[in-house]
Amino acid sequence: MSGGFERLLDSVVRIDVSELNFEDGARRLDASIGSGVILSQDGLILTNAHVVGPKAVDINVTLASLERVNAKLVGWDHWTDLSLIRLNPDEVKKRSLAFKHAEFGDSEKLYVGETVYAVGTPHGLTRTVTRGIISNNNRYFEDTEGVDGYETGNFNSWLQTDAAINPGNSGGPLVTEDGRVVGITSRAYLGANNLGFAIPSVIAKRIVAGLVKDGTITRSYIGIIPKALQDLEGFYDLAANSGVLVDSVESGSPASNAGLRAGDVILAIDGKKVDGRFPEELPMIQNMIASQPVGSTLVLDYKRGSREDTASLVTARLDSRMGEEWVSDTWGIGVRKVSRAFARENQLADDTGVLVIGVQRGFPAEVAGLARGDIITKINQNPVASLDVVRATDAAYSAKPAPTLFEVQRERRVALVVLKP
Amino acid sequence: MKFPAFVLAAALCAAGARAADLTALWAERVKCTVAVEYVTQTELERRPTVAYGTVVDTQGTIILPSAAIDLRVSPSQIKDFKVYIPGDPDGTEAEYLGRDAYTGWHFVRASASIRGRLVPVTAFAGPEAARETGLADEVWGIGIRNKDEDFVPYILQSHVALLQLLPQRTAIAQQEVAGPGLPVFDRDGRFVGLGASSFGQTFLEFSGAEREGAPVMLVNLEESSAFLVAAEVLPYIGRTPKNVFGRPLAWLGAYGLEPMDREVAAFLKLASHSGAVVSEVLEGSPAEKAGLKAHDIILGVDGEPLPRFRPDRVVVDYVERLIAAHSPGQTMTLSILRGSDRVELKVVLDEEPRLVREASRMYFERIGFSAREFVYGDAVARHSKAGDLTGVIAHLVKPNSPADLAGLRPDDWIKEIDGAPVADFASAAQRLSEIDKDAARTETVLLVNRGSETAVLRIKLH
Repeated sequence: MSGGFERLLDSVVRIDVSELNFEDGARRLDASIGSGVILSQDGLILTNAHVVGPKAVDINVTLASLERVNAKLVGWDHWTDLSLIRLNPDEVKKRSLAFKHAEFGDSEKLYVGETVYAVGTPHGLTRTVTRGIISNNNRYFEDTEGVDGYETGNFNSWLQTDAAINPGNSGGPLVTEDGRVVGITSRAYLGANNLGFAIPSVIAKRIVAGLVKDGTITRSYIGIIPKALQDLEGFYDLAANSGVLVDSVESGSPASNAGLRAGDVILAIDGKKVDGRFPEELPMIQNMIASQPVGSTLVLDYKRGSREDTASLVTARLDSRMGEEWVSDTWGIGVRKVSRAFARENQLADDTGVLVIGVQRGFPAEVAGLARGDIITKINQNPVASLDVVRATDAAYSAKPAPTLFEVQRERRVALVVLKP
Repeated sequence: MKFPAFVLAAALCAAGARAADLTALWAERVKCTVAVEYVTQTELERRPTVAYGTVVDTQGTIILPSAAIDLRVSPSQIKDFKVYIPGDPDGTEAEYLGRDAYTGWHFVRASASIRGRLVPVTAFAGPEAARETGLADEVWGIGIRNKDEDFVPYILQSHVALLQLLPQRTAIAQQEVAGPGLPVFDRDGRFVGLGASSFGQTFLEFSGAEREGAPVMLVNLEESSAFLVAAEVLPYIGRTPKNVFGRPLAWLGAYGLEPMDREVAAFLKLASHSGAVVSEVLEGSPAEKAGLKAHDIILGVDGEPLPRFRPDRVVVDYVERLIAAHSPGQTMTLSILRGSDRVELKVVLDEEPRLVREASRMYFERIGFSAREFVYGDAVARHSKAGDLTGVIAHLVKPNSPADLAGLRPDDWIKEIDGAPVADFASAAQRLSEIDKDAARTETVLLVNRGSETAVLRIKLH
């Protein structure tokens, strides 16, 4: 065993997480187990966004020494399924806890067939090492609800490995023989044989830097859904390996406002030629757009039919479909703010309202007939512009319970219900 | 000692007389019932369906319940109607006349050759005063077995347990009393109602996995315990549609009516009222022209307040039937609550825009899908401008066809064919036929709209 690998083993941790969920219309704690890797002597740990996210209320880290210590969330980025936590420095100091930290390797240099190891906590089995090879070093897939309902995978490709990856491996490192971290193990096909996936270190390094600096990763949004041109070059009369097809343009987006339409082929972004011939090339192009500072001007050269044209647009901030969540204990209802992306996807007029994500049986909301999937648009005839409107009405109701009129959008229908004490 | 024997004999005798009586009544009344078989023929399959109907006149007119024929299917795709006299394995051809919007009934006409063997149900109507069914009345009706049993008729018997407005006056018997669409009679053989669709009943299902029993709702499709009372049937049996589409159809354009429940009424200080909330007002509709707004609450129609129903949601059917009872061009007055204001609106009803079942369609064998004309309802369903009726709908996609493999899905809205916008059905049909027939063609590219997104689909032809 190399010295680097030994050092790596001392930097891998088990993470026990308690998460607060509102999906039953009540406060419920869900416990889960994942893995992580220590990146620095001041206790930064990299893991998956689906292991530790903003809903985590208790993060307990088991070090290689088997000592346990609490940690706090530094920031997360569900788009790349990465999350950064930090060990409680006071406790580390007080208890003189010792640990090593890992070094990143270069995922770009990996070759298919190269031996790699996954280290983590599969099914709670702390400090498990499995071995395999790189099966594919440029795997592409998107998962629109991959991280607890949050979008993921649009801006990165994945390493595929046949090292055994099981639930609980998530967030652990994928390493080369010298113990360098080339990926963060994040998912596997359950029921398949050894089809595991990791986020390449080249992506992870950039996300870590961003999260340390700002606690979040801000991306630019222009509102196009790209599609690989594969087999369509002839139809669009293009040279091979040039351009990316616009499959869809989101209404009201910068791209839509700049006049882009589905079926256009983007040839260059800010004068830089783009090549979206294969699906594997799309994350790079998406990432190139997303990496621009929000509010920057992008010049797109595109082809429509036989005509070539240029459009200039100003990028907006990329938002998730998932809004802030909250629960009312009095009404027995969990809600999530309708986001602009959610409104757009569901063809709602605007982002007014909160989505019901759960109701508790026998509580006023359920008794009145509110159900999961309803969108509460008005309470006592006031539009629900923010969660604060719901919180304020709930506070007033708790202080002095009185019948309260809810207007909800249910599919295309408007229903009125009264919540009573 | 002889006394009990005498009583027993008398009892037997009475029972025998009653039974013979009922058998005779039944045998005579079976003649107003038929089984109707038809075929739904799509591009890919032929699917036979059997329904039961009641003869309503001497011209061989038969009414079938609303559920007998799927409303989304185009009348051009339902064919080969046959009428079977119960117990006779040989059917005779019949003609589909269409559906009446007010009653929901489908009308079918038997061929002249068997009309002599049919008796209209009106022959058993009895005087109007005697028609009303009362609680606990003994009632009986007719059921019909399946085709492999030659549609033999049988008798069902029960007592009325409950009378409800749903919104039609509906009697609910203690057990199944007739096949849906088949008649119900009283003890004297007078027609008292028509079998309605049956209600679901909840049972507990036990299995290895569910040892404590899981509730399941079962609906008996062959027999029903509910029937529409005669007064909801006899006045309307003459509503034979003028055409298979049942036109003219009155149109208001208030979309997604939702009942106002008692709690909401109390909150809005409308304690005694019933009402229906308007979810959306459709673009260009009579309702929009008259000034109806989304979120208005309809409290009354033509000067009459909406009655309260149990359950509340029945009020929606009630309003929809009121609209269907009108003709296009007639005026309907709506009493509205808007915010805290009362508003009276006079709406001149219009003819319902072309429906999906009336839309033109065409199948393209090589590409492997059928295109359907884009109609008003499609624009409503897709949140698009009602004026924008361009494009066509992918109606049916043949499994594993080039269209299917390229990712075309039923209900995709095809906006462009080979980069050129689709103006209307006729031009799309022409272009797609040309592509379909052109053996030299290796691909066609469609731009489709699906939900809030679009997709470019390359269909590889071979």
